[in-house]
Amino acid sequence: MGLTTPKKVFSIMALCAMVSLLLLPVVMSLPSLAIGADAPDAVKKEGEAKVEKGRDVYYKTEGIVVGAPAPKTTDGPKDYPRYNFESRVLLWFANQQHLYYGSFVLAVPIFCMIIEFMGVVTKDKALAKRYDQLAYDFIKISLTAYSLTAILGGILIFTFLTLYPAFFGYLSSIFRPVMHIYALMFVAESGTLYIYYYGWDKMKEGFLKWIHLSMSVVLNIIGTLLMFLANSWIGFMMSPAGVDEQGRFLGNIWHVIHTALWNPLNVHRILGNMAFGGGVVAAYAAYRFLASKTEEDRAHYDWMGYIAMAIGVAFLIPLPFAGYWLMREVYAYRQQMGITLMGGLLAWLFIIQATMIGILFLSSNYYLWQALGRMRGAEKYQRYIKYLVFLLVCGFLVFITPHTIVMSPAELKAMGGQQHPVLGNYGVMSAKNGGINVIITTTVLSFIWYMRGNKVSTVSWSKFGNIFMGVFFACAYVNIIWLAIYGYYIPANVRVGLSVPQVATTLSCLFFMTALNAFMMKGAKQMGPIEWGKISARSQYALIMLATAFTWMMGLMGYIRSSVRLFWHVNEIMRDNSPWAYTHTVGFAANMISFNVLFFWVSILFVFWLGSLGMKKAPVEAKAGVPGGAPQPAGSH
Amino acid sequence: MGQAIVYGVISLIICVVYFTLVDHYMMDMQGLDYWYLFRK
Repeated sequence: MGLTTPKKVFSIMALCAMVSLLLLPVVMSLPSLAIGADAPDAVKKEGEAKVEKGRDVYYKTEGIVVGAPAPKTTDGPKDYPRYNFESRVLLWFANQQHLYYGSFVLAVPIFCMIIEFMGVVTKDKALAKRYDQLAYDFIKISLTAYSLTAILGGILIFTFLTLYPAFFGYLSSIFRPVMHIYALMFVAESGTLYIYYYGWDKMKEGFLKWIHLSMSVVLNIIGTLLMFLANSWIGFMMSPAGVDEQGRFLGNIWHVIHTALWNPLNVHRILGNMAFGGGVVAAYAAYRFLASKTEEDRAHYDWMGYIAMAIGVAFLIPLPFAGYWLMREVYAYRQQMGITLMGGLLAWLFIIQATMIGILFLSSNYYLWQALGRMRGAEKYQRYIKYLVFLLVCGFLVFITPHTIVMSPAELKAMGGQQHPVLGNYGVMSAKNGGINVIITTTVLSFIWYMRGNKVSTVSWSKFGNIFMGVFFACAYVNIIWLAIYGYYIPANVRVGLSVPQVATTLSCLFFMTALNAFMMKGAKQMGPIEWGKISARSQYALIMLATAFTWMMGLMGYIRSSVRLFWHVNEIMRDNSPWAYTHTVGFAANMISFNVLFFWVSILFVFWLGSLGMKKAPVEAKAGVPGGAPQPAGSH
Repeated sequence: MGQAIVYGVISLIICVVYFTLVDHYMMDMQGLDYWYLFRK
């Protein structure tokens, strides 16, 4: 006890230092936040006559002008210096790579926090140790990626400064009050991450472990705030606020940050990052699984892949709803912007997005069905999988059906109009909402089957429970499809509301049925152990597919979100007068996204390889938590 | 078998009532009428 006390004191001090680091930027920002109040005072002192007022373009409030107007750029080396290459493509590449790595290093510490917490609260000592080792493996991967993220961030800033100096100068002038906060947060994030990582072994038990866990909470708060700040820049570019119509800053930085799209972007990005991070870690585990030479390693990486996939999919399920909210807010902000996105210039990219979402869910389901194979007793579900495939495929086909297709005049004539007489009916939101909700509900059902794969409920009401679950899912499907059909018979202003009960139906299945299943499986009889490592190689390719689809979709959605500004740097405030202020063709965009995805995966493979070098040097005791040839963490799911 | 039918019927009643309430109140919450077509 006497030996641990200084350790405890030191760890508490470290935690306090982290919290102080977290609060430091807030304290530092107080004078900056007051710019809105101080600056006008300063102006007042110089003379009342010099005070100029402006009207906020979004909040419609009056404020005293404290910034310069947005520059009116012209195509030339002054505003748009360039190499013999399209500047926008260079910036696209730098931005996308930074975002991929940034998302990954923000998501993985959240995983670590969840897994470390699971390890702390698990009563099974061996399992707790395995969770702890898994969290450690995760953070180790993220640490190497973290350095790359910082390097890519530097490259991005230099790319901005070199190729778009006027625009970057304007954006920096608007966000000046919080720029240093961002930098300080980054320092705080780095410091916390390194202490968290290097303190792992020193703080692995008892009270110190809780302190260590608290550090991960602080780390994630810092990371999330960093992301929120970065989101405020893109939010400002899409839906500016806090400036007048000339783009002059009106002194209220909160208005600039809290734009119309900021919160939907924050929610969407958190969920997206988590799903993406889960996919990347699952792919890492799959890669290690396929390269494993021993049963022990195969068991470990099979388990790791499953946990990462489960966390990723848990965040994937609410992602379409967050996306729906974002789109709804886009429409509410500027209807034209929404139409450009979903019904105009960029609509075809949404069809590709729908296809990618479908692929994500199909891959997740396929993995779960394959994973049933590692459980004795799960054979009883195999014969029903074909029905799930049917539901998924139907939902998928409806979801990806376009409203109209690009056609030649002859084809148009042959078809009798823009829309196909039968399939055209499926190209509307009413049908698509039905399609995606059927897909998500089926994924929930697959998960529940997986969770009860090798178990038989022993509760006295199990018969009623099973029948109730079956009827609940059946009624949920009927309700979703009914609402989709009902939408065709009522006016558009009523129809738009039907998506809410559809989502509520899906979420009811997710929350109520998962909870009911957990109650039913409490103390359940196990038909046999989960044989970790005894899974087909195909399942691992499904995980790699999942990760690739996530990466591609992130690239695609980033491009769509950015392109919707059309020829504006800052929507309706600062015009893009470079020669590249046009929307690329779908083909070019797809190739560019594919190139970004390829580059990311090649570079992350390098990171994985570096991580594997570290693992070879890891002390033997690090593997002590993996019991036997094929570990069986009962109840790990 | 008889017991299963009873359980099935009870479950069906609960689920139909539940989803109807979900549909009604989720639309009502948005100021919309779920029964629009039937009231017409």
